[in-house]
Amino acid sequence: MDPKVTQTFERFKASLVRNDFDTCSKLLSQLKLALIQFKSLPPLFADGPTAVQELTLASKYSIPRDIFEHAVVLSVKMEDQDAFERDFFQLKPYYTDVGPRLQQSPQEYPILGLNLLRLLVQNRIAEFHTELELLTAAALENPCIKHAVELEQSFMEGAYNRVLTARQTVPHETYVYFMDLLARTVRDEIAGCSEKAYDSLTVKDAKQMLLLNSDQELFEYIQEEHPEWEVKNGLVFFQKAKDSAPCKEIPSLQLINQTLSYARELERIV
Amino acid sequence: MTQDVEMKEQPQVPATAAAVSNSVSSPTPVLQHLKEIAALIETGAYAREVRRILRAVRLTIALRRKLKAGVVSTFLQFALVAGSEAHTRLSAYLPKDDENDMEVDTASSAPQATVKHSPELEIYCYLLVLIFLIDQKKYTEAKACSSASIARLKNLNRRTVDVLASRLYFYYSLSYELTDSLSEIRGNLLALHRVATLRHDELGQETLLNLLLRNYLHYNLYDQAEKLRSKAPRFEAHSNQQFCRYLFYLGKIRTIQLEYTDAKESLLQAARKAPVAALGFRVQCNKWAVIVRLLLGEIPERTVFMQKGMEKALRPYFELTNAVRIGDLELFKTKAEKFSSTFTSDRTNNLIVRLRHNVIRTGLRNISISYSRISLADVAKKLRLDSPNPVADAESIVSKAIRDGAIDATLDHANGWMVSKETGDIYSTNEPQLAFNSRIAFCLNMHNEAYVKIKLWDITRFTPRIRRSDCFACGSVFPPPVPSRLPHPAIL
Repeated sequence: MDPKVTQTFERFKASLVRNDFDTCSKLLSQLKLALIQFKSLPPLFADGPTAVQELTLASKYSIPRDIFEHAVVLSVKMEDQDAFERDFFQLKPYYTDVGPRLQQSPQEYPILGLNLLRLLVQNRIAEFHTELELLTAAALENPCIKHAVELEQSFMEGAYNRVLTARQTVPHETYVYFMDLLARTVRDEIAGCSEKAYDSLTVKDAKQMLLLNSDQELFEYIQEEHPEWEVKNGLVFFQKAKDSAPCKEIPSLQLINQTLSYARELERIV
Repeated sequence: MTQDVEMKEQPQVPATAAAVSNSVSSPTPVLQHLKEIAALIETGAYAREVRRILRAVRLTIALRRKLKAGVVSTFLQFALVAGSEAHTRLSAYLPKDDENDMEVDTASSAPQATVKHSPELEIYCYLLVLIFLIDQKKYTEAKACSSASIARLKNLNRRTVDVLASRLYFYYSLSYELTDSLSEIRGNLLALHRVATLRHDELGQETLLNLLLRNYLHYNLYDQAEKLRSKAPRFEAHSNQQFCRYLFYLGKIRTIQLEYTDAKESLLQAARKAPVAALGFRVQCNKWAVIVRLLLGEIPERTVFMQKGMEKALRPYFELTNAVRIGDLELFKTKAEKFSSTFTSDRTNNLIVRLRHNVIRTGLRNISISYSRISLADVAKKLRLDSPNPVADAESIVSKAIRDGAIDATLDHANGWMVSKETGDIYSTNEPQLAFNSRIAFCLNMHNEAYVKIKLWDITRFTPRIRRSDCFACGSVFPPPVPSRLPHPAIL
């Protein structure tokens, strides 16, 4: 059994390097099927004499863990967020539940950081913080984790340009995919904020602020996302939401209803 | 709890009580107390009266400081059949000393030994020994003893045991927590919770749910804790203490998941409901509540930090609050660093990190109130933003604050200004009237709810067959009936 798994895994790694995704997914399914047969692996955790041996598959690092780590990387390369989530949750027990029994994986922090980034991109902030609580102080110091944590902070504060400059300083090449997605989210956020904060902007400034390359792109973006904006004389006008206007007349019907209900309640009390 | 059972057992009650008080020729006052408690438990077991057992547990807790190995082992000989499985097992946990005491008591309790003890008393002995072991800091023995008691409990299905069992669960978890091996018993606790649910043992469910939440939160497993909490059956709380704990855990989970408004409500309620004696618990609640309120953009009053016995513990949080109130990023940073060890041990460090955003907001609000027009470069300087491009940062931060409604202003990109809007006269709008209405509605609602509760309490008190849930089910309670027209149940 073992040599077969390792062989398949070697082929899987090779095709991952070649970016041959079809072969990769096919091999990955085979690998996952093979892993189910080991009883001491998650989710069963059967404690037996072969437990440690199965967990590591007689290697310096745990091979099952290695397989899922590669699966996560594959899903990022294939830009499949659902697969990422699935694979990550299959991988997680190897870090949390059986973590102490294995040697720490060099990939652990990059992958945890990647997951944080994914939650950020999908705007699942509550889950982001739940994951964050699980990390030790040492983990928080790791550049990969720190990157995601700082991004979240800048994102919350509204310092969007810091989010965008962070793209240049990604700690790991797999992060680029999510950073690009994040840039898109940031653009929507900026558009939402500008709409409230400015009366109008010049086309040039708007273009620069929304990180678009040409006027054409800007117009397309406005057309798609914010058709209510108006472009006139080289200026972009935002439609203002109406402020609460001073009340001109007394809302009599509403007041009568309220007063009657007070009277009814008071009668019940006295 | 049928009427005739009580009637039959009635004559026995004083008899046993009298027998006990006669036979005890007061070797030590503590032992005498214990024997009285034992009698109470026996009566409670015969009469199926849970409240007697509750009282016994309360009395025991009052005695716990005075317990000594000799007294406990003598009591075991009194309460359990010598040579029985429970007796041998429990005595093994106790240290052998105080030989004198033991001899005296074997003599006095010898005739009692032949009486067959009830399961309640046996469980009580487990509880007593466990409390004693924990107080003596013999945690390994406590662990073994608690595991044995849990194994014994699994075979018992009696409502009168439930009260004792719920206490045992608590000490079971405590002994494992003290030896830092909480994760070992998680599976066991889940199984116990399932059994308690099947047996409709609500007190047990309540206790076990709290223990499980505590277990998960100990390892920061907020996700699992929330999943369990939201799926576990809920009912009206039986024990105030357990309810307080539940509220505290709930508040913690909600804080982590950014539901600050709900979190604040739970935490404040937990702090208010907690007994005055539970100082440590109230301090913890207050610490979390302070942070949650800060995260909500509120500034807690000074009185919160000046509560009796809490000044010292809340000091770091007080200074932190001050930094947030002023809106000074530098000051906030130094305070966070200065007290970082406290925050780490309170596990609030990550929440403090989240506060940075609020500090900026507060600072920005102050600026917006003070200036009608200010350049973005000055805003950045005043906020002490440390970044390579402060003006651009300030611009986007301000624009987000405007969108979130934190400040009322507009930005002028061409000139790089922030222009604050004149605050309009709020009394020219409908706002005050709406606010007034919602307050009146709140008060009326509060009155109605209190009324329903009092009414139901009366009913449940005088007619034991009606359970609270039945009254809620019949739907005729609301709107509340006028009290004087209802015949008072006591007269019937």
